[in-house]
Amino acid sequence: MSLLSRKFRDKTALFWMVISLVILLLMPILLAVGLYLKSLPILHEQSFFDLITESEWKPMQGKFGFLPFITSSLWVTFLSVLIAAPVCILTAIYLTQYARKKVLAFMHPVIDILAGLPSVIYGVWGVLIVVPFISKTVAPFFGLQTSGYTILAGAIVLSIMVIPFILNILIEVFRTIPEELTEASLSVGATKWETIKYVLLKKAYPGIISATGLGVARAFGETIAVLMVVGNVVQVPTSVFDSGYPLPALIANNYGEMLSIPRYDSALMLAALILFGIVLLFNFLSRMAIIRSEKNQ
Amino acid sequence: MKTLHFLSLALISATLTLQVSCSNNTTETTDKNKLSGNISISGAFALYPMVVKWAEEFQKLNPDVRIDVSAGGAGKGMTDVLQDMVDVAMISREIKEEEIQKGAWFIAVTKDAVLPVINSSNPVLAEIQKNGITKSQLSTLFTEGKKTTWGKLYNTKDKSNINVFNRSDACGAGEMWAKFFGKKQEDLAGTGVFGDPGIAEAVKNDVNGIGYNNVIYAYDLKSRVLYPGLAIIPIDLNENGVLDPEENFYQNLDSITNAIRTNRYPSPPARELFMVTKGKTFNPIVLAFYNWILTDGQKFIDEGGYVKLTDENIKSQIEKLK
Repeated sequence: MSLLSRKFRDKTALFWMVISLVILLLMPILLAVGLYLKSLPILHEQSFFDLITESEWKPMQGKFGFLPFITSSLWVTFLSVLIAAPVCILTAIYLTQYARKKVLAFMHPVIDILAGLPSVIYGVWGVLIVVPFISKTVAPFFGLQTSGYTILAGAIVLSIMVIPFILNILIEVFRTIPEELTEASLSVGATKWETIKYVLLKKAYPGIISATGLGVARAFGETIAVLMVVGNVVQVPTSVFDSGYPLPALIANNYGEMLSIPRYDSALMLAALILFGIVLLFNFLSRMAIIRSEKNQ
Repeated sequence: MKTLHFLSLALISATLTLQVSCSNNTTETTDKNKLSGNISISGAFALYPMVVKWAEEFQKLNPDVRIDVSAGGAGKGMTDVLQDMVDVAMISREIKEEEIQKGAWFIAVTKDAVLPVINSSNPVLAEIQKNGITKSQLSTLFTEGKKTTWGKLYNTKDKSNINVFNRSDACGAGEMWAKFFGKKQEDLAGTGVFGDPGIAEAVKNDVNGIGYNNVIYAYDLKSRVLYPGLAIIPIDLNENGVLDPEENFYQNLDSITNAIRTNRYPSPPARELFMVTKGKTFNPIVLAFYNWILTDGQKFIDEGGYVKLTDENIKSQIEKLK
């Protein structure tokens, strides 16, 4: 093979790599632009601020208020991360600092299986186990009556679903912390728990933030499992025992009516755009947090 | 078994809603008399079991034909067919004017009804079966969204909240149930659950629950009585506060379908079920399937738990196909 053709091959390979990269970089922009163009018709009729602060949703009458969906999404997401994050941090500490290597080796495939299960399975599990548990055990404990299809059910199902994602990142984070650091702490007389608390967790802080941020982003967009247990009632929830109606559920449930009601498709595209924006914002904020804490160290 | 049945239905329906149905629209007829090729069908839960049965039998007669049927609600079926993602949609409500303008072309194939269901261990079951429930009481429960108790509804001391279940997906059952009260599906209140099997499961799990199901999801096809755990809340049609013998036809699948056929059960929520294509169809398989359904296929309707159309109606549907 001549030098020329080798060089040429090198060039073409490089060319395709760059093209792939550009496509990847363009994807989110194209998505955002597409959604924006599709939601323009409704934005021309009503102001964006009105749409996201109104709480009445009656598409047949042309009333599109997104507040119930946005607040439901926030409730479910934050509650689920609130449940998942401590569990993940404690498990990750145990697996990387205390447990024998064998346990960690055993846990890796388990976590991967949990991460790989289709979300509809979590949804069915939620309907069969979590919903009755809430209506028969949890709610009566607080003196309440509910069908069990609640924000809380959605958050529990979702927390189980995001655990593998957060946990996987956290294990990596804890493992990359240099052993010298913890050894130094132990050698000056700190106990193991003190070392974890003051050295390990401090060093891992940006990683924890980023893992949680990614958990939020995933939780926010999760559709079917949450849809199956959350109750899908258009209202601004005021307690975890209320039903909710998160943004992804809105889009999935009403896909069918898109064609027959004026402005409906535009409204659903706007819902997708809002979802996109919020997920983007969370990614951005968790990145900022990491950069800041890295600067401080 | 029951749980397994629900599980599989829920799994199928849920996955199908999320994925874009990729269908193979190619149809080839190699031999003049021999049909071969694929068609795909999606839509109403109400029609799903019937069309699956029809498809099975039709494929026995035409071994080279493949018919893929998936359930996801009438709304999904309509969207799919108008966007050319499937060949035929199953629709369990009236076809809207906007949809006809976009090309929806339909024939009626059978009838069924939406029934109000409750848990068989309901705290005031005895009173319910004695008195029934009026349309206005149902309307209050399903459209006003106010919290009330079973005790208040039946003048007993029971303090359990009534948990109202509603469909979360765009569906014919919801649309017809709302139409019963002169409303739209978006006006219905209550906890939204996905799919017909979803509502049946929710009511079975909740002694205080009330929901609505298509006939075929309330009665078991094999035993022809209600699914264990479910009961019907009978409608007091003449509103005299008592369930009269002529209003009481919910004993089994055959008595209810008989009541629908003879219009003793109100319409809506009883209604015709439709198959929809985009524009008048010239697809040979779809045409053959339609013709077969309206003739030989009719013999599976009783067994399938549905209600036959009147003879004149069937004639006019066949006329439409020509």
